[in-house]
Amino acid sequence: MQQISVTINGRPYQFLAGDHEMLSHLIREKAGLTGTKVGCEQGSCGACTVLLNGKAVLSCITPAMRAHQAEITTIEALAMNGQLHKLQEKFVDKGAIQCGFCTPGMVMTALSLAPELDSEADIPALIHRIKKGLSGNLCRCTGYKKIIEAVSEYVLETAGKNPEIREPALQPATGAVGVPRPYIEAAKKVRGVAEYADDIASKNALHCKFLRSIHPHALIEGIDLTDALGLPGVHAIATGKELPGKFGVLPVSQDETAMAVDKVRYAGEIVAAVAADTEEIADAACRLIKVSFRPIRAFLTIDDSLNDAGESEKIHDTGKFNNNIHKKVELRFGDQRKGLEEADMTAKMSFEFDGLSHGFTEPHAATAYWDENGLTIITATQVPHYLHRALAKVLEVPLSRVRVIKPYLGGGFGGKSDPFPHEIIVAHLARKTGRPVRVRLSREEVFLTNHGRHPSKMTVEMGISAEGIIRVLDADVAIDGGAYGSFGVVTSYYNGVLLQAPYKLDNFGFRTYRVYTNKPQCGAMRGHGAVNPRFAVESLIDDLARRINMDPCTLRMKNFLDSNTLTVGQYRITSNGSSESLEKVMEQSRWRERIGKMEKGRGLGVACGFFISGSALPIIWNELPQSVVHLKVDFDGRVLVTSGASDIGQGSDTMLAIIVSEVLGIAMDNIFVLAADTLLTPVDLGSYSSRVTFMAGNAAKDAAEQLKTEISRAFTKKFNIGAEDLIFSENRVFSHDKTVDCSWMEAVDILTAKRGAVSVSGKYISPKLGGDFKGAGAGLSPSYTFGACISEVEVDEETGYVKVTQVWGAHDCGKALNPLAVEGQLEGSWHMGTGQAISEQMTYSKGLLFNNNFLEYKIPTTLDTPDIHASIIETIDPEGPFGAKEAGEGAIHPVIPAIANAVFNAVGVRITRLPIQAEEILAKMKENRISEAKI
Amino acid sequence: MTQPKTYIKATSVEHALSLAGESSGSFRYLAGGTDVMVNKFQGNDDAGLLIDISGIDALRQVSATETHLVIGALVCLEELAKHSAVAGNFPVLMEAANSVASPTIRKTATLGGNLLCGNRCSFYNQSAWWREAAGFCLKCSGPLCLASGGKKHCFSKFVSDMAVALISLRAGIEISDLRGVITIPLESIYSGDGINPSLLSNTAIIRAIHIPLHHDFRSVYKKLRKRETLDFTSLTTAISLDKTGMIRIVMGGVHAKPVITDGTGTEDLNSLVSQAVSATRMVDNDTYSRAYRKAMIPVFLDRSFRELQLI
Repeated sequence: MQQISVTINGRPYQFLAGDHEMLSHLIREKAGLTGTKVGCEQGSCGACTVLLNGKAVLSCITPAMRAHQAEITTIEALAMNGQLHKLQEKFVDKGAIQCGFCTPGMVMTALSLAPELDSEADIPALIHRIKKGLSGNLCRCTGYKKIIEAVSEYVLETAGKNPEIREPALQPATGAVGVPRPYIEAAKKVRGVAEYADDIASKNALHCKFLRSIHPHALIEGIDLTDALGLPGVHAIATGKELPGKFGVLPVSQDETAMAVDKVRYAGEIVAAVAADTEEIADAACRLIKVSFRPIRAFLTIDDSLNDAGESEKIHDTGKFNNNIHKKVELRFGDQRKGLEEADMTAKMSFEFDGLSHGFTEPHAATAYWDENGLTIITATQVPHYLHRALAKVLEVPLSRVRVIKPYLGGGFGGKSDPFPHEIIVAHLARKTGRPVRVRLSREEVFLTNHGRHPSKMTVEMGISAEGIIRVLDADVAIDGGAYGSFGVVTSYYNGVLLQAPYKLDNFGFRTYRVYTNKPQCGAMRGHGAVNPRFAVESLIDDLARRINMDPCTLRMKNFLDSNTLTVGQYRITSNGSSESLEKVMEQSRWRERIGKMEKGRGLGVACGFFISGSALPIIWNELPQSVVHLKVDFDGRVLVTSGASDIGQGSDTMLAIIVSEVLGIAMDNIFVLAADTLLTPVDLGSYSSRVTFMAGNAAKDAAEQLKTEISRAFTKKFNIGAEDLIFSENRVFSHDKTVDCSWMEAVDILTAKRGAVSVSGKYISPKLGGDFKGAGAGLSPSYTFGACISEVEVDEETGYVKVTQVWGAHDCGKALNPLAVEGQLEGSWHMGTGQAISEQMTYSKGLLFNNNFLEYKIPTTLDTPDIHASIIETIDPEGPFGAKEAGEGAIHPVIPAIANAVFNAVGVRITRLPIQAEEILAKMKENRISEAKI
Repeated sequence: MTQPKTYIKATSVEHALSLAGESSGSFRYLAGGTDVMVNKFQGNDDAGLLIDISGIDALRQVSATETHLVIGALVCLEELAKHSAVAGNFPVLMEAANSVASPTIRKTATLGGNLLCGNRCSFYNQSAWWREAAGFCLKCSGPLCLASGGKKHCFSKFVSDMAVALISLRAGIEISDLRGVITIPLESIYSGDGINPSLLSNTAIIRAIHIPLHHDFRSVYKKLRKRETLDFTSLTTAISLDKTGMIRIVMGGVHAKPVITDGTGTEDLNSLVSQAVSATRMVDNDTYSRAYRKAMIPVFLDRSFRELQLI
């Protein structure tokens, strides 16, 4: 330890700093400036960027001692006297902020980059230079597009130029719905003052660290805590036997315990947890714990687990057969055999997909404490409600003694939508020690926690008529679930059922196996369950179209389902923007003019997609509505919206405010959203299955309409006027003839007179849907979204390197309540899909994940991300709030096969394995040359 | 028990050397620290004493003698890439520097640090937990190389992109240690042993790099990686052709040391390529397969020859 003097943001500090302490730790933990984020601890993501004597540095790999007698500038210094810095303003205005976790680092990097940029350069050169400059900063939400726009406009405006970077703006609209606007909390995020789970200081908190298994499958023969407990500063150590209660997000897969009890099922599973005064002590104590493992045979691949386990112990002792199959699902509609016979052309292909990580930039973190109200846990979660239930169950306390608070959250994408062991453990240790206990996972631990996209193998067969009408579709799918169930039963269904649209199918069937393996468990990730089979189907369509010599867009157009129809598995399709979406991207990419006329090595590819707008059935069957929203208005005129919906960076808090604002005709700043606190907010099932806009949005609309009714009633009583005569608009309540014309505050006075604050409760309950057969519930949704992508690639024919240069995408979101947010979701989806297509994969060696950091898990950077052109298609869904449907997940489906189909168009190589491997492209090009030579 | 963690800022090369000389335990010089601090985070570097040399201004100069351009070891990669004397004389160095890591890292990472950047392997650059779970490879005191399936040889890859470019330019390295100052060919500091890739004495400090002027080098640089930024190399090639027609091919990422192939522009280039390929020593310890990396060598070299108008 040494005494150092540091000036941070102009203020002098004296710190006792560790000789090997990192600057990020000093800034966050000692100076309390938590705007500086730590996303990867290894200098690979840029979230921790600060200025050291004016120069941008990665504070997570900069020794704190270097700050001695130096000046540090963090994000908190930028806004002056309550005014945002111009660059911050641009980030807000352009919608460059979603989850906000990468934002401080991105802004600091951009700030240090800006003086180096040449505002005289032409726009493409300037943008390329910005992309290069920001290429060490990973963003998982935005696809970088709006960030780059923000920085370029800032540079141009600072140079006194009129920036015209954006593509033509979307049509302006009146009212709150349809107006592009930044998130209501964007300024807070860009200033670095929005608090995420690891930013919230709890007095006197202990730190928790985990001892994790080094074996993929082993029996625990003994745990010796003696030495670890003897270490000064250690307060408690917990092991699996203390928390034997099983949990899991699905009632049918309660197969996980907070820590391994008798055996470990994957390398990385938590065996013991230490609560100590500091992270360092907790870590040292973990190393002193002695565990006797007896390794047993590990099942590491799908094939291992499909086969009979022989004499070896199965991963779970459930299931009738001696194998490690977790779930088998099979559904058949129509007559597939007949369909095959009738088809004039068939194609059958096998595909293989590696597992994927969500790659959210904020690592999991949580703090738990107990008081007279029971347990409170502040945690980075997408599903406060299901966590609430799991905590009560495992900790054996009544539901009324658990409070889950979700603070600002740095990205989820499905990866924070299960109850997690670390959340249960810190709650348990807090009870055991009587102190708050906090934990933050390292990036490696985030990868070990996983719950990402399932590695999958599938064989899919499709047949079409000579006219290009799809006659039959059959899919045989195996997915690798890892050690536990998670959402896997749903994933198993989704791998099949979500193929029944957007094309009309009469003869359709599938079979899915989900197996347990001794690897970190898989779960739900953006586009849940449908991404990989969608890839297969869109690849087959591309192949079949070529073989019957039909344009693949034309073939798709011929097969789209209509609006207001039923699918073969009895999904009720209402609004359907498939053909508008496809038409849009064809026009934007100039498909008709360009396809087939490009030089070798360059290609265009197309694909379509479809997804649910929230699951119509809740995970836990009960008669509660899927979402409830409360509104309260009191003397001050402000409307308080309370909702259990979890804003994970997708903008759901803003969405709720927009809906309330639209219904009541009042300004957004008269609305305050309080969300995702299970003590204060009514239940919403959570941010998964792309359900929030549709379900919480409808509940908010219902609530706002009830409040409107309350006000109307008060007015009819007071003014002797019919409710139908009242108009709520522009912060006023008035009659058509203006004989009654009150400001909002006057209206609130009338409402609350002799009554006081008024609260109303709105809800959303999905209509009864679906067929009468086992499995009919899977994939049912009150509404579905549709979309299309065309992508352009350049393939280096000597190296096999694929560069995705353009993505034109269109997505039917029903109605864009906030077009800026919808665009952000689409651009982020296409960025993430590009990653799955070209560079992202989780690779294992004997059950150990190789690439457990952001250097080796290759999320596309600014330079690897194509130019993205987003088009919003509006079909005004009859049941969505103001016609809105989802926009967060569906868009990812078409982009991946569009890229692969473009590779085929460029070099004649059919991609059957993701991510696309340069090596495989070369090998297949060689095969093609040999077969051509033979002909 | 591990030794106490200490940090001292050295004020001069002599100061740093004396701190190193007096140190009873393990120590590490810290230049930019962008490689060292990550290795420390992962537990691959447990040096107790960090001697921070980044403040030694004498090592941060760029100057020219009659015969050489001299770049101080502590010049950061960003400055190096922007320096007019570098850009003017040796654009290949600019290209190499700009291909290292990310723009923010290049503001801190130094030339000297890059030359001593640790050899990498997918079984080694992992956390302590991971390496224990994998069964500790040869490079972290285990009995066998895991990447090669059990050989008694370490195949960790040499990944300094700057060294590859500099060696192609016949650069020399000026080193101080307790014995004095010497300048030797840069390639001579690399052992080829993946476990201890550097032959420098443990107290040695790189002072500067000397690059011969007046050779009228024409150079081509290429780097294979999955993303266009951030990533360490899977294959780096630099070819420099001097005015006498001598060609030097240097490759990184394919051996525990840089692989050098010398020849002339007039000889059979295919045989030079074969020589280069056969001098590599690779296993599957990279994001790309060994076979692919090997196959890319002739592709990169042929392209480079074409760019140099040799073919």
